[in-house]
This record gives sequence, structure tokens and C-alpha cells, in this order.
Amino acid sequence: MRIWLGIALPLALACLASFPVARGQDARPTDPDKVSNDDPARPFQMPPATTEVKEALEDFDRFRERGAWERAFKALYSINEDQARRFVDGADGFIIPVARKRREVLSALPPEGQSAYRLFHDAEAQKLFDQAQGDAEKANLERLFSAYFTTTVGAKAADRLGDLYFQEGRFDRAADCWLAVLKRNDVDLPPAPLAVKAAVALARAGRRAEFAELREEIEDRHRDESVDVAGRTESAPEALRRILEAGRSPESPAVAAAAPDAGPIAPAEGVAPAWRFLIAETIEAGMGTIELNQWRAGALSSAAPAASVDGGRLYLNFLGRILALDLETGKLLWRTGSFHDLRRFASQPMGQMLDPERYAILARGKRLWTVSRDPKDQNYSAAYQLECRNAEDGEVLWKLAELPDLAGYEPTGPPLLADDALFVPAKSQQGQPLPQQWVLALRPEDGRLLWKSEVAVSRQAEQHVYYSNRRESKAQVRLLLRAGSLYVDTHAGILARLDADSGALEWGYGYETAPLETERYFSYGNQQQEPQAAGEAPVDRDGALIFKGAKSSRVYAIDPDRMAVSWRRPIGKAARIAAVEGRTIYLGGEELSALDAETRELRWAVRLPGGSYRGNVIARPDGVWQATPRGVFELDPADGTVRRIFRGDDLGVDSADLITTPDRVLIVSNRAITAYPRRPDDAPANPKENAPR
Amino acid sequence: MSPPRAFGNGPGPGLVLALALALAATSPRPVAAQGVRDEGLSVVGKGSARAKPTAAEIDLDVSATAELTGDAIVKFRDAVKRVRDAFAALKLPDVAIEERGPAVSQKGAAFNPYMGMDMGARAKTRTEVQLSRKLVVKVSGIESMEEEAVLQLVGRLIDVAQDAGAQVGPRVDPYTAYRYDISTNSSLVRFVVEDYDKIREEAFAKAAADARAKAERLARLNGVELGAVQSVRENADAQPQQRVYIYNFQDQSGDADEQRERLTSPKFQAVPIQVELSVRFAITPVAGAKP
Repeated sequence: MRIWLGIALPLALACLASFPVARGQDARPTDPDKVSNDDPARPFQMPPATTEVKEALEDFDRFRERGAWERAFKALYSINEDQARRFVDGADGFIIPVARKRREVLSALPPEGQSAYRLFHDAEAQKLFDQAQGDAEKANLERLFSAYFTTTVGAKAADRLGDLYFQEGRFDRAADCWLAVLKRNDVDLPPAPLAVKAAVALARAGRRAEFAELREEIEDRHRDESVDVAGRTESAPEALRRILEAGRSPESPAVAAAAPDAGPIAPAEGVAPAWRFLIAETIEAGMGTIELNQWRAGALSSAAPAASVDGGRLYLNFLGRILALDLETGKLLWRTGSFHDLRRFASQPMGQMLDPERYAILARGKRLWTVSRDPKDQNYSAAYQLECRNAEDGEVLWKLAELPDLAGYEPTGPPLLADDALFVPAKSQQGQPLPQQWVLALRPEDGRLLWKSEVAVSRQAEQHVYYSNRRESKAQVRLLLRAGSLYVDTHAGILARLDADSGALEWGYGYETAPLETERYFSYGNQQQEPQAAGEAPVDRDGALIFKGAKSSRVYAIDPDRMAVSWRRPIGKAARIAAVEGRTIYLGGEELSALDAETRELRWAVRLPGGSYRGNVIARPDGVWQATPRGVFELDPADGTVRRIFRGDDLGVDSADLITTPDRVLIVSNRAITAYPRRPDDAPANPKENAPR
Repeated sequence: MSPPRAFGNGPGPGLVLALALALAATSPRPVAAQGVRDEGLSVVGKGSARAKPTAAEIDLDVSATAELTGDAIVKFRDAVKRVRDAFAALKLPDVAIEERGPAVSQKGAAFNPYMGMDMGARAKTRTEVQLSRKLVVKVSGIESMEEEAVLQLVGRLIDVAQDAGAQVGPRVDPYTAYRYDISTNSSLVRFVVEDYDKIREEAFAKAAADARAKAERLARLNGVELGAVQSVRENADAQPQQRVYIYNFQDQSGDADEQRERLTSPKFQAVPIQVELSVRFAITPVAGAKP
């Protein structure tokens, strides 16, 4: 009897364990590119509108087709305003707020529908417009733009709202308002001034492609129309040129300020390091053979520290030990703890559960911000912590977990620092069956909450591991700040855009992704695993966002301002966007490969030692560089030919990253930090550069 | 009422007779009936010869995987070209690359030794195309080189191959090897004696001479004269035994097209070859000798 129990119980548990994955697979849609926010098989869902809202939109469509306008508008306006910010499926994979959907369907009405709409709603809109004064001005205009844009006063309201946004410096939103008016052909506002205002706002917002298009239109269609700007009457093209020059167009000063590093990257062959800071030797000192084998077999020994350079210092986060080094000398300035004791955790279950990829560090001025978890914590699923520290001595200034109302939030990716805000992707599961994905905007110096915005809610449980080694790391949420908008790639099927000032969630894009591996029960994980590339932040390329989810087998280019998919292309799941330079997208993974962004053809691929699964790839018109276990490789961007290998002193490392400063080249690896002097611009190439050492 | 049958419903007399005939047909026959001849004098001669390796070979594996087959072809073409170019750039006259035919396979359908309990493997629903090709880098004329020079040369070739992105050495799944106790070969270089027939010939000659010497001694001691050789048989058991596995695994080296009989060693040293011959001589009594 005992024998039968011994056989039956594991089998029964194994069957139970297989259910969550099987269910997720069965429910997948047949076409992976047709993504819906309501698909229960997807890992994340943006805050959904209620079923009543979706029914109201369907009713509107049905009545509109019949020409039953009164009933159609009644259905549309049965939607409560609190639902206007919830999300429904838009076109081509975009997930949009109900308010935007409402504006889109109203703008698409045929002439008879427009007439009927105005008949029913002009009075209400006019009343709102008249009351748009003082404190209520912005709110009323926003309501008009959202709910009554196609009424007679809708265009005027949008124009005024654009002026307000422009004055607030929210050029992106201002441009949207004016562009929306320009798209309408039934307004009595003169188009030339609107076009000039929209063009200026687009230029200030950095929306270059749209700006170029509108400028061409102004010089073509509105060249003979005059506009009044600041008491001067001039032609529309002249006015645009003068305003842009006066305000210093975004094409010149910003680019000059961020002049790229053009000096040689790899040091001269045979050059001695300026300094080395040893990590592995410190930990491994005194280890016996068995202990050394155990340490080196574990994931912790392969982990390279997260690094950040600021103000002549190198700050490191090595598995929760924070260090500051002098960049010039390599001298250790301070540290929050020694790391020789890390070997104790390598063979213990809690050490094996750690995900070294989640440690992060960010430094600016007098402060630094870290994401860490104590390796000693016995809890397999212990939360990672965001802390702000004093850059002088590492003293903790504030912790996210101790901030009022934010105690339950755990960072889910590296934070992003803007001028006056620290953006933190975080999750919270307070009182919810499944965790929610948030973005927090904090004041960098004291952690005061500026805003928080819920981006999505999980539809699949978080990863839980029972009696098993952690098999694959969960990709982190990555952020990109661009032209006043914050882009959030969940790396689990949703790319979302938020207004960086207010945190308002503007839209999401649902992309193809594999389901998360959520739960593992037994230690049946000793099958060889495919390496997984790191989840990277979206990259801006001439106004288009290039991104690839960590578990997606597509690379995407979307125009975030026009909300259009420029292209999507199949690619291996274990690929990442390593860099973008010119018209080349460099894809990391098993190989480093070059994808032509215009033709979408794979131009070349080169297999580097250790692959290109993570770490910094420096891509410039004159070369591509990556640190590998066999040295720093320099590739020809034209065809991927290995032009040069700088072997250096970091051969045989498990993971290495390449960081450059004006006078140092830093190799940050799991074994050491090595600083080399930068080669001067006029230094000759080494004739024996490829000779083995 | 019929009498009870001795065997109940068992086989009838016809079947018993057939079995008896079959047993009789397969029973051992008298020795004389088999034609075995035990006259003469049988000896076993052993011979061995040694030869220094004349070539070194390094197996490289070049592969590319992609979601789109077109991408896999670009990656594969580039990978093979980079390896070729890297070795061509060395301009070493005694180094050549032999290319095996390309293989097209799928990546992702991993063997699961745990009866379907491994959920992670099942989650992969798409198949990526994998193109692969085995390349063999061959260095000739190493028999006249010093050991240090050989090591320098093969070390350089391994470095060049790795820098060019090739997988050096056999690709073995360590988990499968561990689970089924398969010994894995970690050698990166194979040293080869190319003139195998000549060495073998030498060993045969030594074995034949050894056999004759033994036979002559026995004949002398037993007072007979050695006659002509009546039969010669090579004992294949003289070569080292190969390990036989009970599981029919796919050849992990993937070198199914390597059919030549060669003498190889993982070490750069003289390689021995051993031959064993069973020789039977005719004998005749010595004239005038007492029977």
C-alpha cells in the first residue's frame, strides 16, 4: 500500500503541476500578431474598461450602421466618465483609453451623423466651453476635447487647450490638440496659424518625422498665407523659421550637448591597466577544491556588478554590496559590506534563488539609487528594495519600503532618472489576487511621491519555485524617457506610454509574447536550458521606437506619436536590441547581428565568444565594440568582420560589460573591474593586434 | 465414457514428434563430422609497431539558428565564411579545412528524460531552423616538429577558431551524458597517423616472424620438422575493446561520414598498433627420430 502511495502521489502532483501551463497554451489565439487586451492567455492586461463600456461601444456601432443617431449617441454617452480612462482595444494592436476611442468614433461619423451629433450635443458643449474660465478652464477644455471634440466648439476648445499645454511646456500634448484640429475639414479656424503652432510644438517635443512632414506642408500649401505672431504679420513658412530660430530648434543645441564619444574605444594592445579591482580572487581566497567547484558552478559566481559612473567615481552594486571607487586610481572609497562571505550563499537554496540581473545602481551628484536584495534573506521570494544613498559614504537616505503609502511596492526593473523625477517600475499586490504593474515618479532627493500610475495587472501568477533551482530569470520592466513621454516595456506583452509630468497612461501596445513560466514544483530542471537575452529598453530611432520583448519572437518598430506600427519582423526569442546606430539595428543573442532598419534584412551576423546576451554594445559609424570572455572585440559595421581583438587582462570571465569615460575604458566583469587608459585619437594602430597572448 | 487423456488438452503426438525431430536436428554433432582439423602445429604470433602522428585535426562545429530560415542562411553563411577567412588569413601552408556537408535540423525539440514532467520544455511551441556544418582543421607534417612547436600551432588554431565564432570540439549534452553514464570526450585535438597501412604492414610482419619463431621452437622441442603454413587467422580481439552501450543514442559527435580506418590518439606521442596472428604449420617427423 505504501509503495502504491509513493508512486501515485508524485504522479498526481505532477499532473496538477502541469495544469497552469497547459491551460495557458490552449487559450492562445491562433494568430500571435492579433493581440487583444481581453485575451486571458496574455501575461498582462492594461486597466480594462467594464463589460458595459464594451457593450455600449458595440451598441453605438450597431445603431450608427442603422442611422439611428439618437440611440447611437445615447449608447456612447451612457459610458461613465470614470471609465473614460480605462482601456479597450484600438486599431493594429494598440490599446487605448475609452475617451480616445470615443473621440475616434465620433470623428469618423459621416456628414449626416455629424449633423445629428451637433444637433444633440452642441448646446451642452457650448455650455462647457462658456464655463471654461479660471480654475475650470483646463478641466472643461479637456472634457470638451475628450467627449465633444466634433461639436461646433470642439475645434476651438482643442485650440485653446493646445495653447494651455504649450504654456505648460507639454509640447507633445499641445501638438496632439492642434493636429487633431488640422485633421478636421469642417472647422472655421484658419489652418495656417494652427499648422505653424503644431509644427513648433512638434519640434519642441522632438517629434522630428511629423515636424518635417508638417513643415513641408506649410511651405507648400500655406506659403502664401500670413499669420500674426507676437504682433508681426508674416508668411507661415517665415513665421515658422523665425520661431524655431528664436527658440533654438531642437536639431542643433540638444545634439551638440550630447555629442557622442568619438575617440578610440579599445586600448592599445599590450597596454597595462591603470588599475584593477579584484572581486573573484577576494571571494575565492582560501577555498578548497570542492568549495571552489561549488562556488564556480553557481549563478552567483558569474554575476558581474551593476555599475554607474558619476563625478569621477565608479559606483558598484555587487549582489547588494555597494561600493564606490575612485575612477582615477581605483582606490576603494567606501563600501557597505565585504563580499568574501558571499560564497556561503552560493550553495544554499536562497542563494540559488537570487537573480543577479535584478541588482541595479544609478548615480548622480550627491546621491545614488540602488535596487538590491539581501542574499542572506531566507525567503525565496523576498522583495527587492529600492534605496537612496549618500554618494559620499553610502549611508541610506531613504527606502521605498519605508515611504508612506509605498511600503508594498517592489521595484521590477532599473529606475530611470530625469531632471526632477526618479521613475521606478514597481509591482504591488495589496489586497489583489494578482500583482499590478505600476510606475512611480518620486522626488529623487527624498522619495516624495509625485505620481503613480497603474500600467497593467497580471493575468498570470508571479513566479513561484518550490524545491527547485530557479531556471530562468524574469525579464525586468524597462523604461525610456522621450520627448515628455515615458515608455514602459513590461517585457511581457505590453509597451505603454505615460505622460511623464502627470503619469497619465495614454496608450499601450500589445505585442506577441510567450506566457510566463510561473510555477515550478520539483527539481526537474536539470535539462540544458537555452540562454535568455536580457530585456532591453525601447530605443528611439528617428521618431520610431524599436523594441523587442524578452519573450517575444518579433522585433517591432512603432511610431508612438502617430500610433502606427511601422513594421514588425520575426526574430529568434533569445534576441535583444543591443544598439541602434544609423539605419542598423544591432541584435544581441547567440550572435551579434545587424538588421537593416529600412529593408528589415539581416545584413550580417557574427558569433562572439560567449554570445551577446547582455551587456553594453557600443555602436558607432566607425565600429562596434563588445567585451567578451576573450577580450574586447571590434567589428566592422559594414560586414561584421572582426577588425581587432583587445585581449586585456580579463580573459576567461563569465560576463563582462564595457563602459567608457573620457579617459578610461572599464571592463566590469564577474572577476574584476579593470580600468585602461583611453587611447589618444592619434595613437597608431597596433600592428600585432590579433596575435594571441 | 472416454478414458482420461494423459496430457489433458496438451499437444498431440504429432507435435511431440516434430519437436523431437527438431531437437535431433540441432543437437551437437560429432567433432569429426564438422571437419575440424587438429593436425599440425598452431601458434599465436604477436607484433606491434609505433608511429609518430603525422597530422593533427581539430573538429569545429559551425551552426546558426533563426526564426526565419532566410535569417538562418545569412547567419550560417557568415559563420562559415568567418571561419574560412580566419584560417586563410593565417597563410599557413600545412593547414587545410575539410568541410562536411551541411545539416538542416530543428532547435528546441529537446529530449526530456523525465517522462513529460518538465513543463518548461513543453512550453516551446515553435521550431527554429538550425543549419550546421562540421569543419575539420587539419595540420599536416607535424611528425618532424618539436612538441612545443606543435602545441603552439594547435593552440593558435584553436584560438583563431574560437575568435571566429566556431564551436571547438565535440558538442555533448552533459545532462544526457550524466544521466546515462556516457563517457564524454573532452579532447580538442586529434593526432592522426596517416600512413596507417604501412605501420600495420610492419606490425603484421613482426607478428608473422614471431609466429614462425615460436613454431620453430616448439617443433624443435617436440622433435618434428616444420612444414608449410596451412592457415593464418588474424585475431581481431588484439585491438582495444570499444565500449558498448545498451541505449541506442544518436552519435553525439555527429561524425557519421568519418568512415576511414585510421590510427588516432588524443596525445601527441608515438601511437602503437598491435597485431595478433594465429598460424598453423604442417609438421613432419624428423627422419630417423624415434616416434
